[in-house]
Amino acid sequence: MKALFIISGLGILAMLAEIFKFKRALYPLVLIGILAALVANFTEFNNNESIQAFNNMIRFDNVALAFSSVILITAFLWFILANDYFTNETSLTDHFSLVLFALTGALMLTAFSNMTTLFLGIEILSIPLYVLAASKKNDVKSNEAGFKYLIMGSFASAFLLFGIALIYGATGTFDLLAIRAKISEGMPLFFYAGIIMMLIAMCFKVSAAPFHFWAPDVYHGSPTVIMALMSTVVKTAAFVAFMRLFLVGFGSATSVWAMAMAGIIALSLIISNMTAAAQSSVKRMLAYSSISHAAFMLMGILAVNPIYSMRAILYYALAYSVATIGGFTVLYRVEKQSGNTYDDFNGLAKRNPFAALGMLICMLSLAGIPVTAGFFAKYFIFTALIGSTYKWLLVLAVIMSCVGVYYYIKVIIAMYFKKPTHQEPLLIEKSHTLLLAIAVVLVLVLGLLPNFVLSV
Amino acid sequence: MLTFVIYKSILCVVVFGVSLGVAAYSTWWERKFAAFLQDRKGPSRAGPFGILQPLADGGKMFFKEEIIPNVSNKFLFVLGPSLFLLTALMTGVVIPWGKDLIIGGKAYPLQVTDINIGIIYVLGVTSVGVYGIMIGGWASNNKYSLLGAIRASSQMISYEIAMGLSIIALVITAGGTLSFREILEKQDAGISNVMYQPLGFLIFLICAFAETNRAPFDLSECETELIGGYNTEYSAFKLGAFMFAEYINMFISSAIMAGLYFGGYNFPFAHELYSAMGLQEGSVAISLIGFLVYFFKICLFISVFMWIRWTLPRFRYDQLMNLGWKVLIPLSLFNLVLTVVVEFFRGTIVF
Amino acid sequence: MGYSITQWLFGILSFLAIMFALMVVFTRNPINSVLYLVMTFFCIAGHYLLLNAQFLAVVHIVVYAGAIMVLFLFVIMLMNLNQDTEPQKTLMTKLIAGLIGGVFLAVLVGTLKGAEQLSFSQTGASQIGMVKNLGIVLFKDFLFPFEIASVLLLGALVGAIMLGKKEIK
Repeated sequence: MKALFIISGLGILAMLAEIFKFKRALYPLVLIGILAALVANFTEFNNNESIQAFNNMIRFDNVALAFSSVILITAFLWFILANDYFTNETSLTDHFSLVLFALTGALMLTAFSNMTTLFLGIEILSIPLYVLAASKKNDVKSNEAGFKYLIMGSFASAFLLFGIALIYGATGTFDLLAIRAKISEGMPLFFYAGIIMMLIAMCFKVSAAPFHFWAPDVYHGSPTVIMALMSTVVKTAAFVAFMRLFLVGFGSATSVWAMAMAGIIALSLIISNMTAAAQSSVKRMLAYSSISHAAFMLMGILAVNPIYSMRAILYYALAYSVATIGGFTVLYRVEKQSGNTYDDFNGLAKRNPFAALGMLICMLSLAGIPVTAGFFAKYFIFTALIGSTYKWLLVLAVIMSCVGVYYYIKVIIAMYFKKPTHQEPLLIEKSHTLLLAIAVVLVLVLGLLPNFVLSV
Repeated sequence: MLTFVIYKSILCVVVFGVSLGVAAYSTWWERKFAAFLQDRKGPSRAGPFGILQPLADGGKMFFKEEIIPNVSNKFLFVLGPSLFLLTALMTGVVIPWGKDLIIGGKAYPLQVTDINIGIIYVLGVTSVGVYGIMIGGWASNNKYSLLGAIRASSQMISYEIAMGLSIIALVITAGGTLSFREILEKQDAGISNVMYQPLGFLIFLICAFAETNRAPFDLSECETELIGGYNTEYSAFKLGAFMFAEYINMFISSAIMAGLYFGGYNFPFAHELYSAMGLQEGSVAISLIGFLVYFFKICLFISVFMWIRWTLPRFRYDQLMNLGWKVLIPLSLFNLVLTVVVEFFRGTIVF
Repeated sequence: MGYSITQWLFGILSFLAIMFALMVVFTRNPINSVLYLVMTFFCIAGHYLLLNAQFLAVVHIVVYAGAIMVLFLFVIMLMNLNQDTEPQKTLMTKLIAGLIGGVFLAVLVGTLKGAEQLSFSQTGASQIGMVKNLGIVLFKDFLFPFEIASVLLLGALVGAIMLGKKEIK
């Protein structure tokens, strides 16, 4: 709860910085603020007083706090990554406040307990992102990304609202727990239609196939740091929302949505991995791979295992976000120097051994090779799902992971076994080296001590 | 039920008639007033003091040739002025023109309808009035008309914000009701709301000028830049409808200002006067006196509109927008905050 | 026929709302589309009135018809869009879009089958839409969403300004 207030307050502070001319101090202030929010989160753990605030509109229970901490950690790392994004004099404070407002929405999504807060959270998260995606104003690609994102996002919101309306019509309440209590055999048919519509809307938001068409273009067109934000913080937030909605709200109506979701997962796995393997741009490959990771996290929801699936998703979200941030740090520097194709990574091991090593570990984690966090993330998801009826999905997921290994290894091969196309060494500034080191350490620590997170 | 319907219909017709009549004679008064300020005579040929001038003007409008440009969208071209006139007339129905008449034990309110959100209804209807101008300007298929229409409507929607904010402050002071009737009744003691809301009144006044597209904010019909503004292509009675609607808007906004901020049919020491004259509550005489007082206030406000028009020069368009967004809106927000704080310490607001 | 005036009004308003909504999609001229959309909003405001929610009805008109659609109209008028500039879709696209829309409609209509078993307490003129009751609901039960919506609006505002701002050199 306090974290939400701190972050939204920071957003307003960022706007005041423009007036009172402390723009320079803003960056450290924001970092301190996020740390403060994180600390506030930890103090609220197991503190049942603040669970039910505001008439049960929002519930910061332990699950919500854990996920919001993951989001805050990722956001902190992201701010280190994006330090030179905030240099444009004209709109420096605007960028800060937009990112912080998006973060506010993300935190709301971890803790919503009412359809109104769900909708508002999704909108608060999305609207700043539409703008941020288009924030390279002179770049046509970026404009296209923002525009596509806006149209698709509004489309998804329309579905969401329609679904909420139908569910409200059937149950007469917006409250998630009240809806759960009301679900029984004799619900009118349009209640189920409402659930399916919300499923579609949420799949749009997490960009699962076949509602993923916007994602690669949007990710590719946006500025790289914004893409990093979208595929970590935003993705995690959307997933928590998805999870809360379907496990808490519609958990007892699995017969309606489970089959549809299984189909969506299978489709996402196949489409994203096959297309990702065919890409020549690493940035685009990461965009498709994020769809595939979305499918893996969806499998955690499909498991409908009250204790296990939430932990598996939590672990997956953390492992994925950290590895992605690490990967993006290297990609960002490489892109600045030359470009974002595989060829630009050629011989990176000679040009900057440390960056290559970091990228290697992050890619291995994303691919799910043992000892890294990514392996255990996939392992937990699989164990969560193994008890359910969807065992065929497991087989498919394992096969598709192998395809995934192929395109992640392609980056590694380019870095270690190909002759460099650019001879000059890749320079990485200190803060980014530090960030990469943190990411690598986190990936390894999470991989070596997986129970550390699960015990939460 | 039947008497109710008949009574309301009569009242509707009377309100419309009065609005139209006042609008017609506002044109005459405007010209007389301008003449006075410029040391001229003004209209003097049609009847004594030119008193028949509005009729002559109306007749001329009516018999002129009706021109519809060839390339325009004919339906929308006619719809524009009709809509503008319609919305202008519709605002009059929520205004209570006097105290209730009590005839044979039954109360007959001098108000067409008392909806509990009267003020917002007025805002809503005026905001729809923008469409009349926009459609008319666009359908003329003339770039000057289009520019005039866009100027008029953007200025109207910009100033509506400050207007709405000053109304909210007023509503807080006036006891938390949006009904026109109740706000007027709260001023029964003769202390009008302008005492509590001087800043709000000033903001409302300026916004009313902008909302009615009157000088110094009549950028939409700035001859030097735009020929005739949004009504360049209009002639005959459709032009008349636009002009009429403008004067009706002026009349209605004067009525709103006189009602919300200056007590409407109430005036200081009204009760003392009535008891001195030996009049019963609810008698026809009281209603009539109240109505006349209200009407007098309205006429004063209309004169203020004219006085300003013939005194102040026109703004530039960027100045107009700066005034609206950078001065009036912050000022009205400040006014709102101030009102809330003051009312909190007076104890009318409880958190 | 056993229909009350309210039911007749509801039927007429719904018919008009749906008809105007269809006209929004089917007219070629964008200006007409916008005007039909405004008419649709008026019909929806009429529905609010039938529910005795006058405040919502008027606010709906002030916000949607009076402000948002005017800005739409601005943009369309200034860009001078008309039917010639609208790109033609191929027959295939139209066919597929029609098919998907039709299926969606069929599903929705099909799911309404169970609706009649729901019972709603009919209390004549409901007072929930009155501005006082609405205010109480908004500031008591829905305080948090109401307040957090300001962050949403602020975000949208900042975003719009950021995109529209000139670069300082």
